[in-house]
Amino acid sequence: MQRPVSMLTAATLSLTTVGSFFVNQTAAIAQEITPVPSFRAVVNSNADGAIAPDQGLTLREAILVVNGILTLEQLSPEERSQVTQQADTEAPRIDFNLPVGETTIQVVGELPPLNRDGIVLDGTTQPGYATGSQVINELPTPAPVVAITPIENLEVRRGITITADNITVRGLSIYGFTGDLSDPTSGEFFDFRGWETRHLDWRELYRATATTPPADIFIAHRLPPPDITKQPTPANFAPFYDDDVPARNAVIEDNWLGFPPTLAGNAQPETPVVRSAFGVSVFNGTGATIRRNWIANHDGSAIITAVDASNLSVTENVITGNGVAGMPDAIRLEGNIDQARIAGNLVCGNDGSGVYLFKPKGSIAVENNQIVYNSRRLRRAGVYLMGDRHVVTGNQIRVQAGPGVVVTAFPRSVGNRIQNNQFTNLEGLSIDLVQLNQAGVQDYQRADGPNPQRDSQNRREDTGNAAVNAPQFVSKTFYALGTQVGSAADTPLLAAPKQATAVEVFGTADPGSEIEIYRASGLDRFGYAALAEPLATTTVGEDGKFKATVANLQVGDRISAIATHPTDGTSEPAAPAMIQSLDQAAVAPTDQSASSIPQCVTAYVPPAPPEVPVPEEPITIQVPTRIHFALDQSNISPATAKVLDRVAAVMLENPALVVDIEGHTDPRASDAYNKALGQRRALSARNYLIRKGIAPERMTIRSQGETQRVSQGSSRVDYARDRRVEFIFRDARGLELIVQEEDLQIER
Amino acid sequence: MQFFIPSRRWLRRLGFGVVGLLVSLLMGGMFLAGQAQDVPAGQNISITNTATAGFTDGAGASRNVTSNPTTVRATPSPSELVILKTGDRASAEPGDSVVYRIQVRNTGTTTVTNLQVIDTLPFGVRYIENSARAALGNTPVLLDPPPDEDGRTVTFFLATSLAPNQTVTLSYGALLTPDAVRGNGRNLAVASGTANGVTVTSGTASFALAIRPGILSDCGTIIGRVFVDKNFDGEQQPGEPGVPNAVLFFDDGNRVTTDAEGLFSLAYVVAGTRTATLDLTSLPGYTLAPNLYRIEKNSTARMVKLSPGGLARMNFAVTPTFQEGRR
Repeated sequence: MQRPVSMLTAATLSLTTVGSFFVNQTAAIAQEITPVPSFRAVVNSNADGAIAPDQGLTLREAILVVNGILTLEQLSPEERSQVTQQADTEAPRIDFNLPVGETTIQVVGELPPLNRDGIVLDGTTQPGYATGSQVINELPTPAPVVAITPIENLEVRRGITITADNITVRGLSIYGFTGDLSDPTSGEFFDFRGWETRHLDWRELYRATATTPPADIFIAHRLPPPDITKQPTPANFAPFYDDDVPARNAVIEDNWLGFPPTLAGNAQPETPVVRSAFGVSVFNGTGATIRRNWIANHDGSAIITAVDASNLSVTENVITGNGVAGMPDAIRLEGNIDQARIAGNLVCGNDGSGVYLFKPKGSIAVENNQIVYNSRRLRRAGVYLMGDRHVVTGNQIRVQAGPGVVVTAFPRSVGNRIQNNQFTNLEGLSIDLVQLNQAGVQDYQRADGPNPQRDSQNRREDTGNAAVNAPQFVSKTFYALGTQVGSAADTPLLAAPKQATAVEVFGTADPGSEIEIYRASGLDRFGYAALAEPLATTTVGEDGKFKATVANLQVGDRISAIATHPTDGTSEPAAPAMIQSLDQAAVAPTDQSASSIPQCVTAYVPPAPPEVPVPEEPITIQVPTRIHFALDQSNISPATAKVLDRVAAVMLENPALVVDIEGHTDPRASDAYNKALGQRRALSARNYLIRKGIAPERMTIRSQGETQRVSQGSSRVDYARDRRVEFIFRDARGLELIVQEEDLQIER
Repeated sequence: MQFFIPSRRWLRRLGFGVVGLLVSLLMGGMFLAGQAQDVPAGQNISITNTATAGFTDGAGASRNVTSNPTTVRATPSPSELVILKTGDRASAEPGDSVVYRIQVRNTGTTTVTNLQVIDTLPFGVRYIENSARAALGNTPVLLDPPPDEDGRTVTFFLATSLAPNQTVTLSYGALLTPDAVRGNGRNLAVASGTANGVTVTSGTASFALAIRPGILSDCGTIIGRVFVDKNFDGEQQPGEPGVPNAVLFFDDGNRVTTDAEGLFSLAYVVAGTRTATLDLTSLPGYTLAPNLYRIEKNSTARMVKLSPGGLARMNFAVTPTFQEGRR
């Protein structure tokens, strides 16, 4: 089937004649006529290209064989020996037996989709796959051996495409699949699809819009976009027709998506030259299971859904450093996501929210996840909820540059239960219900801060979770009737906090709701504190009053509370109250900043005899705190790159170092423009450091625009000093911070 | 009349240490129009006035300077007719007809005869023939001879005499032609008659009609939406949510933000070829979606041909992005 290369189809630079296009069409038809026998194909060649009867069975050929497109007669005898026909009851399989050192398959075009039911694409069958071993503490799976990536400088949009039911993809490393790589105005491009290679004019390649969604693993109905042969006229009442059946029950497990199977030092995933666009795109697939994968370093989200992803299960994954240059949220849920469950994942160091629901259909559960160090680039909530009756329980949301959990006001969202979570080090409320139908930019990112108590029935209509009232303590302080004897450690210090006896707390809340009382940590500018640890629960009586006995408190602790109404959902946290004792003035404990090393994943070290480290002499290291930029530019100049290398070296040596990267501009141009320019400058500095191996969870991007100039002058040198990015190190002990001007770029 | 008010610098040069200057006007011998009984109609009167300037000189003494008297000559007319004009609507558009009502009241002491009302209609507004009706109390008044149209001026002849304190009501219709949009919508009516052989004229009554362009408007409305396209056809189906707070820039500099549903509308857009583009920095995480059905829609901008009074649609389909800022 030869199509004219139009602006649209030229985008599909598939290199093989027998590639996806031709094959897809007939596959669907062939399946309806005769059932395809169940084959087991063993890939023993890492080559890719046109289908040819040659020495080795490539992955492309194996997929076509298992799909039932390529018949055994079309294979060479060597290839045929790699294929065995199994009983129809057995699942068709693609196994690997690649030679040592040739385990990376560089594809030259999109692979044909897996479109026979039940295929198992199993990278764990490759010899050398160390079953039972472990690379990082957070993920109990070995490193994959077989890697699938596009050949250099070629735009291949999708790694593995799944269009049938019950398909398993296991134990593979898939990275580098993205769209829009090429600048069509430079370089030479060819159309390989015909019999003769044809040179393409850049006008045939030029695209002003994005491509259809690229991803490492793409789950959809048969013939997904950009193929529109089955929807010559688009459907009217849904994105697709009823017979565009979503792929069911795909299983994605034990894969590493977005980075090569070799790790850089300190168990950091390596950033490939070309980052993948999205990790797993559940475009149109129900019942998909994504478990025990490590999804890192994507331009967009790690997991994104679109049309139908109902009954999605995302469990035990490690999701780090995604959203670098696109959709910033680690898990972005859109469309039908009814009964989706996100449980037990480590979501760390991503550029936006951990989980963001955008106008979805259905209710989901977010349980027992660790959502830490997120919102590095955009100030967003750890979990942003839209819709009704979602359940967020047992999660740890820490070091989030935004609020913890937000429930939106529009679309109206009711009955979201947010209980038993732990929050610390937030920039916002632990739970924030957007009120008054506010739908501004901030309300969809970091919400609107504490709400007052309901003043009208109308608040129920225009506020998230039907404006359930936050509990109110009757007093700002509660008195412990006594203190217990402190431990030996704290007796020498009179001011040290003492263990209080159980404290009775009283307050008011909406009748019928359940109260959870938390130990609160930190105190923000509104006077609110993060819900650090659940302590006790109680229920509110008919009169709207509650009473609880809270043990395990120290004098000087703050407590806060949330109310969960059975139908309305969970409230915002109460304004905190402090625990004091009658015999001793309370001293508020100073808040401890995170003393642990900010690190998403840690290298798994097999148990070994402990070595006694030789204490090193503290040495002072000089670290530059500023880099400079040219007028109206945000790119890194060669001189600046040298300075950044020094920053990177220091950060690599000091893994505990956390940095805020602040972009600044000179005072010319508008405030808004400069704010954006500062953001671009900070972003390019951050992305350079990521390339140098600094983990994204250690860097937060901010922009000050022109608000904080270095100097007050207006000479060209002053302006050049203003055009800078500042590195604000937290806990910079042992570092000598220096201001360098080696890379000052004075405008001519 | 002119006053010479010396500037401070000029005074200093003259040696005056003037600190304050007071100028007062004294109107002398002026007859006010209301005192008509004192002046027979048609008789000339003269109004004289003088001006006095007061100031404090260097020695601290108050001094006055008085100007020469000037005289204005005038002929007061007996103001016995009061005219009031109203319309049945405050605004209209071409094709509408307006009903004007004019009340003329004799506030004088003598009966006025040969009563006529001269109405200068706004530009583009035409008197509807045979639409005029007049009444004195409940008694219809004959319009004889029939109203005389001369360009924009219509003269109504009321075949009645108007006794003191009587009021005659005149109403008539006028049609707004397309030319009306070029005028200012204000018209002027004057009543006149004869009393004791002397011509009596009322003041001028005016009524302003706000003229909307109506179907002759050269403005149109642009509506549209920004939404997440999942089947890449550029149209919003159920399951393709709108994107709030997306910013669009129009060719005339208008900045439009979508609402919570992703919809926007822009009224009073000047007709013609209008273009708009989506500000991608306003929707982090999204970029323009490809359109697999129409090549034209694979563009960062939408161009519509907006007819006067027309409605045009600009839909922007977006999709989650993976390469922010690269396009």
